[in-house]
Amino acid sequence: MVQYQEQLDRSFTALSDPTRRAILQRLGRSDASISDLADRFAMTLTGLKKHVQVLEDAGLVTTEKVGRVRHCRLGPQRLEHVTKWIATYQQMLEQRLDSLEAFLERTKGMP
Amino acid sequence: MNTKSTKHKPVVTTPSEREIRIERIFDAPRERVWKAMTDATLLAQWWGRGNKLEIERYEPKRGGHWRMVEHTPEGPQGFEGRFREVTPPERVVQTFEWDGMPGHVVIETMTLEDLGDGRTKLVNVSLFHTPEERDGMLHSGMADGVEQSYAALDEVLHKLAS
Repeated sequence: MVQYQEQLDRSFTALSDPTRRAILQRLGRSDASISDLADRFAMTLTGLKKHVQVLEDAGLVTTEKVGRVRHCRLGPQRLEHVTKWIATYQQMLEQRLDSLEAFLERTKGMP
Repeated sequence: MNTKSTKHKPVVTTPSEREIRIERIFDAPRERVWKAMTDATLLAQWWGRGNKLEIERYEPKRGGHWRMVEHTPEGPQGFEGRFREVTPPERVVQTFEWDGMPGHVVIETMTLEDLGDGRTKLVNVSLFHTPEERDGMLHSGMADGVEQSYAALDEVLHKLAS
């Protein structure tokens, strides 16, 4: 559970930057090399590598060096663990409200 | 804003980057709904979603603590928080934390509106705070980063609500 939380924290950090979100969207369409991405986002290779490193630490991006080119793709983590916490919370809340409604229904007319 | 509603189900919306708003109408007068929500004896009968519920602490007043343990088929689940505001019979503001995600505090604002026909509208707004967001706010000059975190969370919430 601690590990899960650290993962969640890293994901939020990774997602806190618009360039990194744009990189994820770009990789969602197809894999790309660091230099492709640098061109696309008009950034230096060094600047882009830093962003990719943050995404890689969060497990949102995987990179692999083939010859002189470093390729990036999505994964292994998706955004599932972030959405999972919020989804779990919302589901619990809705179940409690269903439960409250049932309680009010069955105690109708009681003092 | 995304909206999801059906005839009897709650109306769920995401009004801002880090909020979930649930609106629901109960066929009961406001006083009854208020009592069911704030009287520990009554609370014990529904808050557990059908699971056995242990209320370890329940002090519905400003600054008071609450802690409940729900015995689910997957094992006990603890929830706790503190009351920030308790204004009978219309408003409770409390923090909510789940043992499974310590440090991820949600601020819940529950408002009861008397519809005047024996029914009550409950509006629950849950405000999400991640540690990054809170930490970010403590450091001046980090406001942009916080905004971006919220924007990221917004995308997640929107995806969830659609």
